[in-house]
Amino acid sequence: MSAPEKPAPPVNYWTKPYWNAANEGKLIIQRCLDCQKHIFYPRICCPFCFSDRIEWVPASGKGRVYTYTVVRSNAPSAFIGDMPFVIAIVRLEEGVQMLTNIVGCDPDEVRCEMPVEVTFERLNENFVLPKFKPAGSE
Amino acid sequence: MESIKDKVAIVGTGCTKFGENWDLSLEDMIIDAVYEAYEDAGIGPEDVQAVWFGSYWSGIPAPSQPLATALKLDYKPVTRLENMCATASDALRQAAYAVAAGVCDIALVIGAEKLKDSGYSGLPTDDIAMGNVSTAINTFRSRNFTAPGHFAMMATSYFNKYGLSPEAGKEMLAKIMVKNHHNGTMSPKAHFQKEITVEQVLKAPIIAWPLGLLDCCGVSDGAAAAILVRGDMARNFRPDPVYIKACQIAVGPQEGYMNPRHDWTMVKETYRAGIAAYAEAGIKDPRREISMAEVHDCFSITEAVIYEDLQFTRRGGAREEIEAGTFELHGELPVNMDGGLKCFGHPIGATGLRMVYELCKQIQGKAGPRQIKNPGLGLAHNLGGTPGGATVSVIIVGP
Repeated sequence: MSAPEKPAPPVNYWTKPYWNAANEGKLIIQRCLDCQKHIFYPRICCPFCFSDRIEWVPASGKGRVYTYTVVRSNAPSAFIGDMPFVIAIVRLEEGVQMLTNIVGCDPDEVRCEMPVEVTFERLNENFVLPKFKPAGSE
Repeated sequence: MESIKDKVAIVGTGCTKFGENWDLSLEDMIIDAVYEAYEDAGIGPEDVQAVWFGSYWSGIPAPSQPLATALKLDYKPVTRLENMCATASDALRQAAYAVAAGVCDIALVIGAEKLKDSGYSGLPTDDIAMGNVSTAINTFRSRNFTAPGHFAMMATSYFNKYGLSPEAGKEMLAKIMVKNHHNGTMSPKAHFQKEITVEQVLKAPIIAWPLGLLDCCGVSDGAAAAILVRGDMARNFRPDPVYIKACQIAVGPQEGYMNPRHDWTMVKETYRAGIAAYAEAGIKDPRREISMAEVHDCFSITEAVIYEDLQFTRRGGAREEIEAGTFELHGELPVNMDGGLKCFGHPIGATGLRMVYELCKQIQGKAGPRQIKNPGLGLAHNLGGTPGGATVSVIIVGP
């Protein structure tokens, strides 16, 4: 039995700009042209006012850890080799929230409210995944 | 909207030994639980008019008909249903509504799950380890995320909000698990019946920080059953029927993982199901009017937050109540008298009815060494899903 591969994100027409930008090392999110609110994850219309006039805008890539866990045990899967890894909820400056990984530091150094910034990790030849690292780190 | 209060009574309950039941099939466990319930109610299969059967995975895709075969039911209606980890509670709710509506007078409710043979460890995510790809709409949720990981994020945010150091937070949670294991030593049907210490919990291998192995409930096989009848018929069956005072389910529409307003130090579904159930039962002060509770301690942090969500204490008050022993077996408001999911494990589709079984045994004075004094209203809290979006049942029963 071959080792399982990590799943690739499903792509559809409203998520394609997000993954294209990530491939270029950019984090973009949506904004509603009518109510001006930022939107994440990608939608076909604004979840606040139902307008379909939404645009893609660059995100600063800066935010703070709201909560997190360090996964140290898991069933056999493609992620076993990554353990221990950090899963976190990061709240971005723009007011949206992402479920993501914290990388680039010892998992034990992660704390709630910690300032973080976006970094990019290549998943395979087609996908780059936005993740987060401690703000100001290499 | 009418309340279900006192319209339906439980006149018989049954529950198998929970554990690694390698030598019992799903049907074996169902027969054991159901025949114990028949005997308890003083009825036989010919008296049952309709059946509701909860299971999450087991026996699918054709669970209703094999159930009728196993129980040799005489062409009775059987409904099989699934509502995540709250499956058995929802089966009871459906049966209670049918009896209250008068469409049947005697209903059988079953919850059963056979997990150990499947290889399920409690850890696989829904897609990778299970060998298929999730069809969930929200593709921006993480794929490398375990159930302990979901609830661990609740613990981390709880510690942060209330200024608890990781050490103090973990110790608070450990004491809940020690309490439940102590109660479990008096539960002959529990999977785990050994005492544990705070030190053992703190030193256990970490599964998803800050939750270690002993902060997590086990994976078990088991089945439980109940016989429901019209409230006005109940005393024809036994002198001590248990009346249903409320059964409510709250399903969260939130996407906690994506919503920056979502508070990870509470489960709003529990709070809302509690409010609805208290209103239905006519309860104004749950701390004083509820005399015992069986709650969904899938993880230590879950039980801590339940104390607050069910208004047994104020927000952030869990720690001082744990220190005061409020929820211990002979405390002011005993919680998980039988040891909870921590000691019984969590055969997903059976758990809710195992809770109701314990409440009935307590009310009828048949709980043996774990019997509490003067049992009155009992509450069963059954949580399906995760803190980011859950399905929660709250059932209240009483003498």
